[in-house]
Amino acid sequence: MRLDLAAKELTLKLVYYGPALSGKTSNLRAIHRLASSEACGQLMTLAMKNERTLFFDMLPIAIAVGDGFRVRLKLFSVPGQLMHEATRRLVLQAADGIAFIADSRRSEASTNRESFLRLHRNLRHNGVDPARMPMVVQFNKRDLEDIRSDEELETIGARSHEPIYKAVATRGHGVMQTLHGLIRKTWLKLETDQHLEDRVGINASRSMRAIESMLGNRPEWQAP
Amino acid sequence: MTQDDANAADIVMGDVVRLEDVLSRDSAASLCKSFFALFGLPVRVLSQEGDLLAEAHRDRPLCSYLNTLADGRHRCSQTLGEAHSVQPDSGSIVHPCFSGAVYRIVPLFHQRRPIGRFIVGPYVPIEAPSAPESLGSVESIDTGAARAHFSDMPRAREDIAEQICAHLGEVLEILVFFGHRAQLASAMQLASVRESYRELAEKSEALTESHEELKQVDKLKSTFLATVSHELRSPLTSIIGYTEMLQSGAAGALSEEQSEILKTVHGKADELLGLISSLLDLGQLESRTLDLRHEAVDPRALLSGVGSTVVPSANRRNIALDIRVSAGTPKIWGDAIRLRQIMLNLADNAIKFTHEGGQVELGAAPAQLEPGDPSGVGSGLFTANRPAVVLLVRDTGMGIAEDKLSRIFEAFYQVDGGTTRAHGGAGLGLSIVKQLVDAHGGTIEVTSKPGEGTLFTVTLPAANPDA
Ligand SMILES: Nc1nc2c(ncn2[C@@H]2O[C@H](COP(=O)(O)OP(=O)(O)OP(=O)(O)O)[C@@H](O)[C@H]2O)c(=O)[nH]1
Ligand SMILES: [Mg+2]
Repeated sequence: MRLDLAAKELTLKLVYYGPALSGKTSNLRAIHRLASSEACGQLMTLAMKNERTLFFDMLPIAIAVGDGFRVRLKLFSVPGQLMHEATRRLVLQAADGIAFIADSRRSEASTNRESFLRLHRNLRHNGVDPARMPMVVQFNKRDLEDIRSDEELETIGARSHEPIYKAVATRGHGVMQTLHGLIRKTWLKLETDQHLEDRVGINASRSMRAIESMLGNRPEWQAP
Repeated sequence: MTQDDANAADIVMGDVVRLEDVLSRDSAASLCKSFFALFGLPVRVLSQEGDLLAEAHRDRPLCSYLNTLADGRHRCSQTLGEAHSVQPDSGSIVHPCFSGAVYRIVPLFHQRRPIGRFIVGPYVPIEAPSAPESLGSVESIDTGAARAHFSDMPRAREDIAEQICAHLGEVLEILVFFGHRAQLASAMQLASVRESYRELAEKSEALTESHEELKQVDKLKSTFLATVSHELRSPLTSIIGYTEMLQSGAAGALSEEQSEILKTVHGKADELLGLISSLLDLGQLESRTLDLRHEAVDPRALLSGVGSTVVPSANRRNIALDIRVSAGTPKIWGDAIRLRQIMLNLADNAIKFTHEGGQVELGAAPAQLEPGDPSGVGSGLFTANRPAVVLLVRDTGMGIAEDKLSRIFEAFYQVDGGTTRAHGGAGLGLSIVKQLVDAHGGTIEVTSKPGEGTLFTVTLPAANPDA
């Protein structure tokens, strides 16, 4: 988080994390497509020829939340390939919230798990307590065969510390809900820790409303 | 905060602060040049702080003329100063000059933050009247000349000027976007390499530590073996000495029964001494303190020496013992006593595990030794094979099961408890043989078929032919 009182700007860093090819970049692309162009800046991708993320993707979003305040959201995606562990740790630095993008296919269960464990380890390595990091989980690729069923996800969701969202990132389904959920969780933690409202006068619910209406487009989840 | 830290924080947030860091001067300069060539409008690009980053213009006769007049020079630099210090925060601003020309100042943004601006001008809007009064009011001006120069000024329609400025702004912002991207990529690459290196260094340190610990444990084991065997050996030699004294009648005549008992004591004590000596050898070998006295050893002499030692036990069990040395077998480069120990051990074993009426063969032949360390380090890849001698011990004995083969060179390993009990020995023999062969820079291999027999192949470096 970066608060610039002179410029009346609050910058939040939100990181899309997850195993290789789970659809992190696809999430950012969909947000870029769906969110109002007034709010969304240019999507910057640092990728290889084959579209695999090399360092990160970044999507800057800026939203006026009233009283002359502006909230800047910096959405990052990490490179998922195993060999980029050091880069993932760097991109994770100073993250305010994390969306964990999992692949819904049964065959990917252990890859998801491994990536999730590594995320925790990387956070601890960066001196962050994973339990205190605002986090949401997205089960992506709901359009594919042999995925974990809705009932299974419900059971997982009931046990899980993190809210769970379902998505088909390539079609933009569920992407905005995930983002809204992530922003809400992040803001809640920020308000608790930093008392933005008392200290700086940024009203939480008004800001959330401004952000959600600017990001717009909240198609409800539809089964594919 | 150092510059590096500041950069690291910016990378992490993906921010860029300064136009001068992300805009390539060369691209900006050629862009300005082609803009000027195309539209005839002077242009300069300034950083947020007002530093000039790129420009393209030509001195206009009007400006040159005004600069020859004291008042003109004064007013001109004042106007330029103003134009340069204007910070438009949203749209472009048109700043007038006393000469009737204008400067158009356009802000540049990246990620919605102002990062610099560019100035187009001076040019005269087509809509403007001919030379304004303010031009004539310059002290000691020649109005005729000034008018003539004024009509030479570049001209543009304001709406078109606005459009081409907007276009130039977009192009510059694209350059900034890609410049920023390139900057982040190289910064990330550097940071990632650093982070990976740090991680590697950390792991390598941990490994070195555990390696040191293991070396310590290894050393402890060796010293323990050496100490224990020394401590055991001296009392044992005393026991043997005293037994011999008793047997020689030093303490008076012995009954038959007493003699028998002393003989058993002596025999057992000898056995124990042999075992302890083996332990000591192992300890020495593992602590690498074993001294080898290298010389050229004749393989025929070696094998016949070993043969004559074991022939009585072979004969006793009706086992045929053959010795075959191929023609042209070179001498071995090694320690004669240790080589004898190796072959004696293998021959003894062969006879021990062969049934009555079987065969044992001791052989020697020329060979090549694969270069490099037997532990697998590939340093030998770049050296030629060495001439070597292969020593064979072949028997027609009970053989060794395949799954046991790989373990027979381990200390205290016996193929099974039964054979140990039946044939004696602590399972140290082969591990010592292996260590001795290793100490010579040789290799030992075993192949076996249960029920058919076993073949041990020891390959040792050959001595120099002239040795
Ligand atoms: N069927 C289907 N395919 C998807 C979905 N989301 C992403 N994909 C595909 O999965 C592949 C990988 O998507 P990316 O978004 O590049 O994955 P990533 O997580 O950014 O991958 P890395 O950058 O290598 O870590 C692409 O071929 C996408 O088209 C989805 O919801 N359904
Ligand atoms: Mg990606």
